[in-house]
Amino acid sequence: MAVLTIKNLAKTFNVGTPRASRVLDDISFDVRGGTFVSIVGPSGCGKSTLLNIISGVEEHTSGDISLTSDSGGPARMGYVFQDPRLLPWRSVMKNMMYVQNDRSEATVGRCRKYLEMVGLTKNADFFPGQLSGGMQQRVGIARAFAVEPDLLLMDEPFSHLDAITARGLRAQLQDIWAQSKKTVVFVTHDVVEAVELSDRIIVLQPGGRIFEDITIDLPRPRRQTDPTVATLQAEVLGRLETMKAMARTPEAVA
Amino acid sequence: MSTTMTPVKARRSTSEKEKATPAWQKTLTSDRAARVAALLSFFLFWVVISALFARVPGPVEVVQRLVDEFSRGEVFGNFGSTLYRFGVGVALATVVGIAVGVIMGLSQLGRAFFESPVLVALSIPAIIWSFLTVMWFGFGDLSPIITTFLTSVPFVIVNVAQGVRGVSRDLRDMSTTYKVPLSRRIKDLVLPAVTGYVAAGIRFAIIIGWNGVLLAEWFGGGGGVGYRARWWYDANRFGGFAAWVVLFVGFIVLLDRFVLDRVIQRAFRWRDASA
Ligand SMILES: Nc1ncnc2c1ncn2[C@@H]1O[C@H](COP(=O)(O)OP(=O)(O)O)[C@@H](O)[C@H]1O
Ligand SMILES: [Mg+2]
Repeated sequence: MAVLTIKNLAKTFNVGTPRASRVLDDISFDVRGGTFVSIVGPSGCGKSTLLNIISGVEEHTSGDISLTSDSGGPARMGYVFQDPRLLPWRSVMKNMMYVQNDRSEATVGRCRKYLEMVGLTKNADFFPGQLSGGMQQRVGIARAFAVEPDLLLMDEPFSHLDAITARGLRAQLQDIWAQSKKTVVFVTHDVVEAVELSDRIIVLQPGGRIFEDITIDLPRPRRQTDPTVATLQAEVLGRLETMKAMARTPEAVA
Repeated sequence: MSTTMTPVKARRSTSEKEKATPAWQKTLTSDRAARVAALLSFFLFWVVISALFARVPGPVEVVQRLVDEFSRGEVFGNFGSTLYRFGVGVALATVVGIAVGVIMGLSQLGRAFFESPVLVALSIPAIIWSFLTVMWFGFGDLSPIITTFLTSVPFVIVNVAQGVRGVSRDLRDMSTTYKVPLSRRIKDLVLPAVTGYVAAGIRFAIIIGWNGVLLAEWFGGGGGVGYRARWWYDANRFGGFAAWVVLFVGFIVLLDRFVLDRVIQRAFRWRDASA
């Protein structure tokens, strides 16, 4: 069953002013429950805007968007941002609890469980400022999983980290995802990362249209050292280059 | 033409500089030394002025009057009433100021509603409020309490509202995505984020509010520091008048340095914990 359905979605900033700019144009796709979908595209093509519309922080200009939840109630969402977005004056554990619906024992236990999964049990009482950037981002990931979301949104969560830390966290994310099987929409400009993590990649082109919808059918867990993974990464990268070349010469195509 | 290069003198590290500075020099250039120097120069100025002008009571006379007042048993009762009125007034201003400030900071509508009244209140001096409240509420505790409240509450409101408007957009968006309820957002996001502004607001409330309480007591008559100061003033005894003012201002300064400063530091300990 589709958790997320988007139909003919468009977004224009500053509608009705001289500064009006169309960022998303006629986007349609749906995401089935339990799948990991990546949205890939060059910077500025509207990926964050799309996620913010899905999460409800931003309003869309036209089109339809619908979310369903297993429980039948309002869909619960988790969001991992590019930066950790933790309350600097609250401890790690309190940050986890801040976004929870209730304060029950079960909820506290769930927060502990996800903190353990990202290896931060010992840091539960630390302030965010006492953690490294990578550790803070892990808190953000644990927080998102701990709300048991119907849909988990991630916006370039590893792009601010150094390559080694990012690789470690990608492996950790694969593990957690394999255990929880949450529905994930993951935004990145990094094709290599997208191929490693996703069941499916939606390529967005400048101007905010869908260029291609690619299914990644590779066994998990995926390792960057695996040649089949590397081959597919190269292939998808090649298609993206084609897209960029086409975007540079629009007259020639038209 | 050739020039002889003299080797550039190696720059000294901070620890070397630290060692090279004699202890007396460190003491003399410390913040504390600056504060002590300010106090001393003020005191000297006071001594000189009082020696030159007969109508300015000197420190010795002021201390003498203060001792007299103590021995007459006038101090504790009057000082106590003033403190009570001042405390209640500032506490009210803090609570109401935070509430209104949060509303003004969070809601466009709230801002539109409160902006003009707050601006008007901000421009009304304590002396006007004290006339009005004495007229309205007579000579009891109520006039000084309300005067303190009215003179100080706009400062708390303005500070808090400014702080709330500055709360990180990113953290607000995060809270929206996770559908965090408003009460928890205020408790865990807004209030901690505006602690500094609240503290500044309360500080203003205290510093502005004491004008209010003393003036209302001056024109009222229900006892208190202001009342007693006026009593000496009317008797043409400036030493007694100055004694009371020094007593109260001294108290405010100590309160600020030893209580407020510490509370503020405690509220910000998450910042010191940061790497
Ligand atoms: N609030 C806004 N007002 C106007 N333009 C915006 C706003 N937010 C984003 N944009 C514009 O929309 C485009 C897409 O931004 P974004 O979604 O952040 O791209 P991406 O995440 O793919 O890098 C950019 O050109 C950006 O300048
Ligand atoms: Mg972005």
